[in-house]
Amino acid sequence: MTSYSKEVIADLVAGTLPWPQTRRVMSAYKDDDRFFKYVAVLQDRVGWKDPILLPVSDHLFICQSGDERVTRCECGHSFGDYRKNWKLKASIIVRNTEETLREIYPNSDIPDPQWMEIREFICPECGTMHEVEAAAPGYPIVHDFQPDLEGFYREWLGKPL
Amino acid sequence: MLDKPASALRIRERLIESERLMEETGCYDGITELQLRNQDPLKFETLHTKLRAYCVSAREMARRISASPGVREVGEMVVAIYTPEGDAIALSNGIMVHVHTMSRFIKWMIRNGYEENPCIRDGDIFANNDAFIGTVQVPDVMDVVPIFHSGKLVGWAGAVCHELEAGGITPGGDVALAQERFTEGLFVCAEKVGENDEIRRDYVIRCERNLRMPIYWVLDEKAKVASCIDMRESVKALIDEIGLDYWMQVSKEFIEEGRRAQLARTRQLTVPGIYRGHTFYGHVTAGKPGYQPLGDPDWLYNMPIEMEITTDGKIIMDFEGTQPWGYHSMNCTPAGMDGGMFVTLTQHMNFEGLVNDGAWMATELKLPHGTWTNPDNEMVATATSWALLLPAYGVFQRLLSRSFIGRGFVEEAFVGQVNSPMIEMGGTSQYGKLFGMAHFECAAAGSGALAIKDGLDTAYVGWNPESDMGNIEIWEQNMPMVYIGRSIVPNSGGAGKYRGGCSFISTWLVSKTDHLRLVTSEHSSRVFDNGGMCGGYPAPTCQKHRAVRDSNIFELAEKRAPLAHHTGTNPHRSELELRLQGEHVTMEGPYITAPHRTGDVFTHSYNGGGGYGDVLERDPLKTAADVENGYLTKEAATGIFGIMLDEDEDGYPVANLEATKRHRAEMRARRLAQAKPVSEWIATERCRVEKADFAPEVKKMYASAIKLSSRFTREFSDFWNVDAKSIFMPGAKP
Repeated sequence: MTSYSKEVIADLVAGTLPWPQTRRVMSAYKDDDRFFKYVAVLQDRVGWKDPILLPVSDHLFICQSGDERVTRCECGHSFGDYRKNWKLKASIIVRNTEETLREIYPNSDIPDPQWMEIREFICPECGTMHEVEAAAPGYPIVHDFQPDLEGFYREWLGKPL
Repeated sequence: MLDKPASALRIRERLIESERLMEETGCYDGITELQLRNQDPLKFETLHTKLRAYCVSAREMARRISASPGVREVGEMVVAIYTPEGDAIALSNGIMVHVHTMSRFIKWMIRNGYEENPCIRDGDIFANNDAFIGTVQVPDVMDVVPIFHSGKLVGWAGAVCHELEAGGITPGGDVALAQERFTEGLFVCAEKVGENDEIRRDYVIRCERNLRMPIYWVLDEKAKVASCIDMRESVKALIDEIGLDYWMQVSKEFIEEGRRAQLARTRQLTVPGIYRGHTFYGHVTAGKPGYQPLGDPDWLYNMPIEMEITTDGKIIMDFEGTQPWGYHSMNCTPAGMDGGMFVTLTQHMNFEGLVNDGAWMATELKLPHGTWTNPDNEMVATATSWALLLPAYGVFQRLLSRSFIGRGFVEEAFVGQVNSPMIEMGGTSQYGKLFGMAHFECAAAGSGALAIKDGLDTAYVGWNPESDMGNIEIWEQNMPMVYIGRSIVPNSGGAGKYRGGCSFISTWLVSKTDHLRLVTSEHSSRVFDNGGMCGGYPAPTCQKHRAVRDSNIFELAEKRAPLAHHTGTNPHRSELELRLQGEHVTMEGPYITAPHRTGDVFTHSYNGGGGYGDVLERDPLKTAADVENGYLTKEAATGIFGIMLDEDEDGYPVANLEATKRHRAEMRARRLAQAKPVSEWIATERCRVEKADFAPEVKKMYASAIKLSSRFTREFSDFWNVDAKSIFMPGAKP
């Protein structure tokens, strides 16, 4: 069975594993013990103690916080109950003018702000940009991911949550 | 042909039986146990490898028969071997999207009584390019031949080539101007086009008399038939070796094994749950010549996708809430949607085990009737269905990638494919002859970023994982234009910690013709049709066309003065405007205009991929290298990524890490100062929603989605706490 050390997984996640080695990881049979090593790597990275249950974005994690399960930023900011859309508790910058779109697209044609806007969802505490939506004005904010956390742990990982 | 004995194949009954067994047992053809695999796994695997080798070898041989640079250079071809019921057992590399569409074609013939009339006999050749029977678009022409052994139908061999010319209202294959089926070009509707291994002369004559450039289509037909015969003979020899009974059983076990492998892979790589995403597509044709007033000239489509991964490992994709089909060429059939699913799965999940139709059987697509994904009118055009298919499956890739990130397989997470706009042409060639062609260098767009590295530059498209733009010299042999530039487009990848892959732009000088029709398709106007992920931005996919008519380029060349080789990085004044005199044209949306002639200059740019992660985390050293190599501008490095660059003594950019740190701290502080709570934004926006204070095309999009989908209506109303129906469809019954 394929298996890698925690250090290799840490480098892979950080994007610092040398490319030839990364290629071998991509081409090899997948390592079935990846998930818990991955979570351990991320747990080392964050500055808080709540156990990570599931990463949902680059710096967002569902974690066990006392009796609650919440979505938490790497900086520690909590977006509340993991079953609710974390974006609704975030801060937002909307680019819906030619001037603000041009800041991100200085050298190309840009969308018509009447047809499309860019929404940047930001951690109100550390300012990390967690997600960007490109949507028509008036389009509801999307709830990206509602994991079946119980089913995942019980049926796929074979461990209690 | 009709003087025939009664069919003894009873293949239709067999197909119905196979489907019943699948329904009853949940396993392909009722194969609940992989007996042959369990008996001798090595023999089992070896046989499948042999079948795959037959496919790969047949495709490579056939590409050398083709005259089309699309097939010869770019590899726009795929071949596969099927069961008698039409399920793929093994396939080649290439445009794998068609492995399953061809399956639909075979099943369509079986269901429609082809064994009775026109009969299915050894040596017959059947062709199809009707998307409602089983293909994606009119230029995707497929040929299949039955495989008989000992008088019994034991399978099919099939091949698809993407034709560069389909004889539609505009030249090329992806007929941009088609608004109904009747303008898409030459249709071959599940037709017997040959007998005794020979293509019928009358079929060839029909092709010769209805296409602008029949040499592509006709030689591709010969290539496909040759590959089918090659695979057929290989399979027959294999059956001689292993026995007919073994073949009939093992071919089904291969598919069931593929189905189980897909389910296992989903359980291994992903996380169960509900995933959501969306993208958009804008189409602008108001005032353009040739468009019939059948529908709205300008429109905006939303493409919401909900993906469910069940704890069984099944992937269910639902397109509810998307837009109706329209009088344009971008509609898609369920066959095309299946094909998109198949080719995405083969790239992202089926990197182990047997790849065949079994993978597709472990998924489910929900395609709302009446939408562009499943039109309730078979006369709609699908000639450029990739325009919507690619963005939609780009969303699918992002949804899958979210699950890979959750599970820890970050090396598989990928921001996804983008549209890659096509340029097509026709008129009088440089040889003074009638010609028509789709230029296929679009098969090398930028890819989305990965979760651990930048995307691929000019090296990826979703429909064919072996991306290739073809050699300039080969394209120049086939069209009356010469390249004066083929350049990386700076900042064309979406910004992010890892940027999307960059695209390229070609600049051509029209040469040795007084009549060149140029047409473009499959690129979104006014909106991004792709997205970023985890804080990355979309790529700038709403580019305009720029051309110069009656340019002074020959005078400049005579004087050895600088020419324009690309459009440059100033969006307000292109290099063409700076360097060339003549009639400057900037056009949004499909390029449909009067013919060009010698001395005109035309540019066409392709798309880059979306970015991954927060821009403020991008590596400054890598960025300096990007600026040095033209993938990013210095302006973008500082303004978007917050990376301050100095110059070394030779003038090369060098990252100033201290200054970068300071500048990024300022940018982060500015972000926090500018941002407001989402709840505040919702309260403000709600007023706008209540008044429907949107552009007409946006309002129309909401009204159409609300009309077709009660779920969209409910979700929209719940989110904004409004009555969506009364806002966007005033007067409609509640």
